[in-house]
Amino acid sequence: MKNALYLAWKSLLWQRGRSLTILLSLAITIWLPVTVRLVLDQFRREISERANATPLVLGAKGSRIDLALHALYFDTLPPADTNMAEVESIDILSTANAAAYAIPLHVRYRTQSRPGIEGAVIVGTSPEYFEFRRLKVAEGQTISLLGDCVVGSNVATKMQLHPGDSILSAPRNAFNLAGDYPLKMKVVGVMAQSHSPDDDAVFTDVRTTWVIDGIGHGHQELNPQTDSQLLLKNDTGTGSVTANAAVLPYTEITEDNIDSFHFHGEPASFPLTAILIEPETEKSRTQILGRYSSSLATAQCLKPPEVIEELLSIVFRIEQLAWVCSIAAGVVTCLLLGLVVNLSMRLRESEMQTMFRLGCSRTTIAMLHGSEILLLLCSASVLAGVAALLTLQFAASVLRSLLF
Amino acid sequence: MIAINQLTFSYRDETFRLRIPVLTLESGRSAVIVGPSGSGKTTFLNLIAGILPSSGGEIRVGHTDVHRLTDNDRRLFRLLNVGQVFQDFQLIDYLNVLDNVLLPCRIHPSVTVTKILRERASLLLQSLEMSSFERRSVTCLSQGERQRVAICRALLLSPQVVLADEPTGNLDPVNAERIVRLLRTETRRSGATLIMVTHDHSLLPQFDQIIPFEQFLERTAADKNDLQVAEGDT
Repeated sequence: MKNALYLAWKSLLWQRGRSLTILLSLAITIWLPVTVRLVLDQFRREISERANATPLVLGAKGSRIDLALHALYFDTLPPADTNMAEVESIDILSTANAAAYAIPLHVRYRTQSRPGIEGAVIVGTSPEYFEFRRLKVAEGQTISLLGDCVVGSNVATKMQLHPGDSILSAPRNAFNLAGDYPLKMKVVGVMAQSHSPDDDAVFTDVRTTWVIDGIGHGHQELNPQTDSQLLLKNDTGTGSVTANAAVLPYTEITEDNIDSFHFHGEPASFPLTAILIEPETEKSRTQILGRYSSSLATAQCLKPPEVIEELLSIVFRIEQLAWVCSIAAGVVTCLLLGLVVNLSMRLRESEMQTMFRLGCSRTTIAMLHGSEILLLLCSASVLAGVAALLTLQFAASVLRSLLF
Repeated sequence: MIAINQLTFSYRDETFRLRIPVLTLESGRSAVIVGPSGSGKTTFLNLIAGILPSSGGEIRVGHTDVHRLTDNDRRLFRLLNVGQVFQDFQLIDYLNVLDNVLLPCRIHPSVTVTKILRERASLLLQSLEMSSFERRSVTCLSQGERQRVAICRALLLSPQVVLADEPTGNLDPVNAERIVRLLRTETRRSGATLIMVTHDHSLLPQFDQIIPFEQFLERTAADKNDLQVAEGDT
């Protein structure tokens, strides 16, 4: 075998052009299905990992997939808002031996775009979110005051943000002059890379997103002595005043004006786009699911792994198509390889005749041809394997950006 | 020693028939086969080497009746006992000079490349003044140089018989004589029997035995008719 391999190697080297062509054809044929498989596996793993790490998601009734994608990847908008009352009801439901934690999410706004850089999604949540997702602050500190924000590692890199910088929220509708104002948020920290959608988000306290929403605001102090041009109504008897549109809300929360910020309305009615729930026990999990399984329930509670699996089963039908294409390409390559080997054998007939005349055994003649094919197949497999790993390495970030 | 007794051979279409009643070639001696083209000289060499199967009779090389061996044994026998120098050298283009000489050690599981054989290959190349070409591709060699490589390959495994089929056919007289002298010297040194086919009658005095081959060719009925027609015409 050693001699056959040696002669095959020399022959392949001698016919470099032919060998290289066959090698590349084989390598591509092997690389394609292997890479598709590995990339899709990585896709499946990454998308499932986050879903598996999220036991329950609560949100407005409607599309389950939209809600799951929104709560997990901050992608798509939920059909409708839910509110803080649901968070409170989870807290009430939670007892000492069946505890569950509710983490509010308000994901409706983005930061303002910069030239060539798309604005990042603003995630309003509670400090528990960082613990829940095991996120660490790489630089600076976590959010503590209204108007503070921490930025994901990718956002920090793209926008070159550091603690002490500031970032503006983008109004949802630029043409609505009476709509929400951009809020200038103070960057107090940068998160460590987590290879998840959290890297591309800006985190702030949920109350800050309500400020962006216009539910809360801060403005100059108003009292009966305030300039009447700023007041719509001044009840001197009760001392209550109503401001008119001339009173502009603050667009930045600072140490000087933070005390003037206040919220209008019932806190329980403040909107959320989703709620992440972490039940500590099976009992609490069952209780929560039971509560929201009723048709009379005010919201829906879903198990993200199930929803994502449902979604993947649809998405991964394309994998079968990729396999069919790969098999077809493989068959064509094998046929072409057979043709090349056949032609090559004809060209080398005089060489084989010489071998035979010298006393070459039948086995060796077969092994000479076999060794060439074996060497080509092994080299092509190694090449395809390395190429697949490299593709996976470099495609991972592209894939992640496509995913999240 | 090569002993031939009542050897017959014919191709399937019966257009060619060879009959050699008795022929003996002693070890260490050299014989040259002469005869017109188509008289069966190359066929005879192929019969001795076991490349072609005989129709009858026997060919003994040493104590072995070549045609009683199985196909695989005949191949091994040929590899170990018969050195062959072909008219067109039949070197392998993708191997260098040394690898071409060592080729017999790489084409059968029973024979492997050993240090001794490597040294022997180098010595053979040295004796034919080809040492400096060891690592060179055979495609870069002249006709004479390629012929010398082919001779080294034939002598590598110290065969009992060396068969040379018109090895000087492509060479000028000076080189042709040189090659024959080399073959004679090397086979005599190793005690091998040399059988060479040639059309060059100026080389005949260098051989111990001359075998005019036309005598062994049996004419078929068709040939005889053709001959009679030709004589009638003249």
